[in-house]
Amino acid sequence: MTTAREGKTDTVVGFDAALIERARKGDSRAFERLYRDHVGRVHGLCLRMTRNPDLAADCAQDAFIKAWKALPRFEARSSFSTWLHRIAVNTVLEKRRGPSNAEMPVEDPTEYEEPVMSFDTPVEEEELEAAIQSLPQGARDALVLCGVYGYEHSEAASMLGIAVGTCKAQLHRARGLLRDRLERGVR
Amino acid sequence: MNVRRVIRLDQLAQNVPPARDLWPAIAQAIEADRAEAAAPMQSARARSRWLPAIGMAAAVGLVTMGVFIGRAITPTAQTVAGTEATHGEVNLMPAALRDANYRKQRDALLLEVNNRLKTMPADEREKVAASLATLRRSIGEIEAALGRDPANALLQELLVSSCQEEMRALTAVRDSGSQEI
Repeated sequence: MTTAREGKTDTVVGFDAALIERARKGDSRAFERLYRDHVGRVHGLCLRMTRNPDLAADCAQDAFIKAWKALPRFEARSSFSTWLHRIAVNTVLEKRRGPSNAEMPVEDPTEYEEPVMSFDTPVEEEELEAAIQSLPQGARDALVLCGVYGYEHSEAASMLGIAVGTCKAQLHRARGLLRDRLERGVR
Repeated sequence: MNVRRVIRLDQLAQNVPPARDLWPAIAQAIEADRAEAAAPMQSARARSRWLPAIGMAAAVGLVTMGVFIGRAITPTAQTVAGTEATHGEVNLMPAALRDANYRKQRDALLLEVNNRLKTMPADEREKVAASLATLRRSIGEIEAALGRDPANALLQELLVSSCQEEMRALTAVRDSGSQEI
């Protein structure tokens, strides 16, 4: 049985596919529509990874320009949104040019399996965003991709160019730090 | 004030629109990308129009040089007889090439071609210049051979056809500039 949400998702994916096909043929209006539909998520991801609104806007802009150029290589069977995010993450990493993805020793990756993070009591969104911003870069990247955007460890690790075990370890570290900072009210 | 609270990390807003619209800059980059992609194609199309002319001209030049070398190895009876002494310099060039109008047209064409060459990419300029140089060298050698054998009808014919080829090649190079635009 198809749920209403699945039906809506299928429609969106189908609509995206039609726009992508037109954009691949050089229709910039179709690409503009794709941009309007996806820019919020792409920018949100860039903003959380960079912590800098100007840099985030530049990264999102560059990501869409790169996406336009790479559209002929886009494989329709994969998710356009994930593909765009991958380009955006690459763009952020290129702009950083820093030692952001240092490998972390993994003792037992199975203990980090659950990517969804919940809290005992409701947390103010602004406070939570501030706590995320205060995290070290590698831990923040893993938390944003897996915790906020719901990517699997393998997808996030691939986007960040790190091992899956490292991604799990970074997320584990991020969660611990986040809880600690929220408890202490550190901004 | 309405403060939004969440209980799970994935309840944070995923859509965070940028403060400014990024589309105008993206659209500009797309247009630039299109123009960049179209430029080499136009250039290749233009090149494909004039390259055969240059190639043909170079081929004619090489054939001419071959004929000339062949003749130099086996001198004609007239050359042996020393007929060059009986013909003055004035009669060396065929009538068509001594025509003032032809000279004027060629000079004007050369000027335009030189200007066109300056705007060409370096590698193309070198190829065109090398082909034209081959053609001119063969014309020069035919003229020199005619100096020794002025009555040779074959050399005269070769000179005229080589000069015509040169004019065709120069015109093709000149026009390649306007085709690209």
